[in-house]
Amino acid sequence: MNLAVTAIGRDRPGIVAGITGALLDFGGNVDDSQMSILHGQFAVMLIVSVPDDADLEAVSARLEAAGQELGLGGISVTEVSGLDRGEGPTHVLTVYGPDRAGIVHDVAVLLAEHGVNITDLRTKKTGTEASPLYTMMVEVVLPADGIGDALSRLSGEKGLEAHLAELETEVI
Amino acid sequence: MAVREVLTYPHPLLKQICTPAQPEEIEPVVTDLLDTMNSFDHCVGLAAPQIGVPLRIAVVDITGHPKAKDPHGLMVLINPKVTDRSEGSKVSREGCLSLPDLTANVRRPRRATVQFGDREVEAKGFEARCILHEIDHLDGILFLDRVASITDDLFRRQNYG
Repeated sequence: MNLAVTAIGRDRPGIVAGITGALLDFGGNVDDSQMSILHGQFAVMLIVSVPDDADLEAVSARLEAAGQELGLGGISVTEVSGLDRGEGPTHVLTVYGPDRAGIVHDVAVLLAEHGVNITDLRTKKTGTEASPLYTMMVEVVLPADGIGDALSRLSGEKGLEAHLAELETEVI
Repeated sequence: MAVREVLTYPHPLLKQICTPAQPEEIEPVVTDLLDTMNSFDHCVGLAAPQIGVPLRIAVVDITGHPKAKDPHGLMVLINPKVTDRSEGSKVSREGCLSLPDLTANVRRPRRATVQFGDREVEAKGFEARCILHEIDHLDGILFLDRVASITDDLFRRQNYG
């Protein structure tokens, strides 16, 4: 059985140790995971395999207790099925510009309109309060016929800088 | 001649330091390396331990690769030695037949001088990267042993400055 475990809380040492310790009590094996600091908050996302006879409620309760100890704002545990590695990204799209509400949405709408699947997305707000800079890096699976004028629309209508680069992986 | 199976980690041979090849051992290994390399569409190099032979032999040929600039053609690296490497380096995403489905950012010198047999080659850019990747195999080093950054250098860098 596979579980998706997500949690977020103020960063401090010991969060990963605490969560994985709780999972290990149930024979949980961390498969794919991403954990990172977002604006001082430590965010974790894990896909975990547990034995099929594991008691989901007990796992949940144990993680909840660990989360409280670690000062996390709540741990979510959900059973997931149909895990599929999917298609890997072909390109990385970098978008940046003065910060405002709606940049991620603008980019996401354009990509969705072109049937582009996002495989990884990270954003960061930097700069000063007077001049905040927004940066967005998106890994995408580009369809064979490309995304047409999407990039020029981002720079034209939306006032953003957009650059698309092929993801180069050298298999040696 | 034969196309051999390419071993994947965690096969123990991939983490072993290979021994120098003796003259009589070379020919059949080189033949199999070339046959196996050429059986893949875009394979630019292969090292003997990848086909199960723990000897210091590798082949590299980046001819025709989009990143090939002044390539040296096919190089059969018998007991190769890196005699010089540039201080300047570059991070690039690498993958490897012995670690399917994985890629990582690896920092390598932009230029390297390699001695093998009676040849000495100064390789640049992608060709240097390939040679160093293959020679790493002869020392039991995989690209995962040389990861320079997780994914996005841009976002990471600001933590340090």
